[in-house]
Amino acid sequence: MSAPTVQRSQPEVVTGVVPSLPVFGALMQRALRRFVRIPSLVVPTVVMPLFFITAFTGSFDGVSRIDGYPTDRLVNWVAAFAVLQSSAFAGIGAAAIMANDLENRFIDRLMVSPLRRSIVVLGPLGQAAVRALIPTSVVLLVAVAKGATLPGGVAGLAMVYLGGMGMAVVMGALGVGVVLMIGNIRAMAIVQVFGFVVLFPSTGQVPVQLMEGWLATVARYNPATALLATTRQGFLGPVTWSETWPGLLVLVVSSVLFGAFAVRQLQRLSR
Amino acid sequence: MTATLRSPRVIAVEQTLALAARSVRNTAREPGAWVPSIIFPLLMAAIYSAQFARATALPGFPEVDSFLQFILPAAILQGVSFNAGEAGSAMATDLQTGFFDRLAMSPSGRMSIFVGRLAGAATFSALLAATLVVVFWLAGAPVKGGVLAALAVVVISSLLALGIGGFSLAVGIRTGSTEATQAMFPLTFVMIFVSSAFFPTELMTGWYQQAAEINPFTLIVNPTRRIAIDGFDLSDFGQAVGVSLLVAAVSLGLSLMAYRARLRRS
Repeated sequence: MSAPTVQRSQPEVVTGVVPSLPVFGALMQRALRRFVRIPSLVVPTVVMPLFFITAFTGSFDGVSRIDGYPTDRLVNWVAAFAVLQSSAFAGIGAAAIMANDLENRFIDRLMVSPLRRSIVVLGPLGQAAVRALIPTSVVLLVAVAKGATLPGGVAGLAMVYLGGMGMAVVMGALGVGVVLMIGNIRAMAIVQVFGFVVLFPSTGQVPVQLMEGWLATVARYNPATALLATTRQGFLGPVTWSETWPGLLVLVVSSVLFGAFAVRQLQRLSR
Repeated sequence: MTATLRSPRVIAVEQTLALAARSVRNTAREPGAWVPSIIFPLLMAAIYSAQFARATALPGFPEVDSFLQFILPAAILQGVSFNAGEAGSAMATDLQTGFFDRLAMSPSGRMSIFVGRLAGAATFSALLAATLVVVFWLAGAPVKGGVLAALAVVVISSLLALGIGGFSLAVGIRTGSTEATQAMFPLTFVMIFVSSAFFPTELMTGWYQQAAEINPFTLIVNPTRRIAIDGFDLSDFGQAVGVSLLVAAVSLGLSLMAYRARLRRS
């Protein structure tokens, strides 16, 4: 007598995955609506860039008098630093949205929906990129009011926005990944520390040739230096490919790496 | 058998000391509360001293051996701000967890709860300042005036902690929210930046320079810096202590008002 064979049901192949683009748009809009409705999120997005550009140009005004400083207007040098600093904060806001969605279990509902996992991560990142327009514009307005010049013209302006939006996406991807890994909003502090540790030892405030000791070496190889050069070039002269591609490379590589990290954390969460 | 009667004043002091010790212990047990107070100022000092080393040769820059020596009071100010801000957050946590209500119902003195928390913040800030002075000394930027000057810097730091801690307590008690109390930190950070902490006001221009010159932090940092660089001077010590006490009087007044209102409610 042969043992009865157990018919195992084959796992159902999901064929009806929802098209990604409308979902991405809906998730991004949802994140943006929430951002606009909460004053405690809007106010720092405007106030932080104001503080950064005012403090960097006000406190260290005398630095531009050092022999060898590349410009006689400090604001032309530090505006890019203020853009990246404040855009990093805007990007970290994406992580806050993800943390909130984890707490209110919205993520759980998304995870049982027929969506591509990457879209769940891309929604907040799209919001971060759009949100970065605010601090970038605030810094630009204050910089111009403080006498900044933009000899790079429209291309230079485009580089400033590219740097700001790119930075927001990179920090957003990292933030989302860390929030998904740790599981709560406290993870944001880690990302803030990371942003600080990467951005400060760079050419944000002075060029490498004016630095001394260990910092000159760290700043030279710091990826933030390349991104700063790309973002800043329009303030110092015409836009060139040689100043553009290293920053672009940094943006692409770090977005892909941190984005993959975030998606992986999401997949781990769904197991 | 005879029961020993102790005066209420002695009991109040004992309770205050016990609560201050609890505050110090709690802070020490939570590295997240004190590690940034040491790491951030040191990191900023290391970066700025390498970035702005050549600025010390600019006309108008105070005579210093190095930028690291110049930035010592700024590092302490930053560390103390981080740390003293925790007093309000800790009080807010006590309110959220109900520990404050249990203390308020117990026969402990009402003022002991308040003073104990502040004394804890001031004690921890003194320890923090002493640690930073030693680290700077090891890094080649000692307090020039020796032990007396170093002690003066530590005393000023404790008083400053009372001032900053007072503001943070006022917010913590009034709101009962750790998030709201922590949101106060950027304001302190702005106050530190718009002062002579990181760069001399002589090299600033326009309204920013004027704002920095009347900032209480500048009025505390400048004499503290002179004590660290040139040695102990009674008038400098008097100025730093006087302004710190003035700031503390305002902030403690605000926090006491909030405290009394909270006690009436609980």
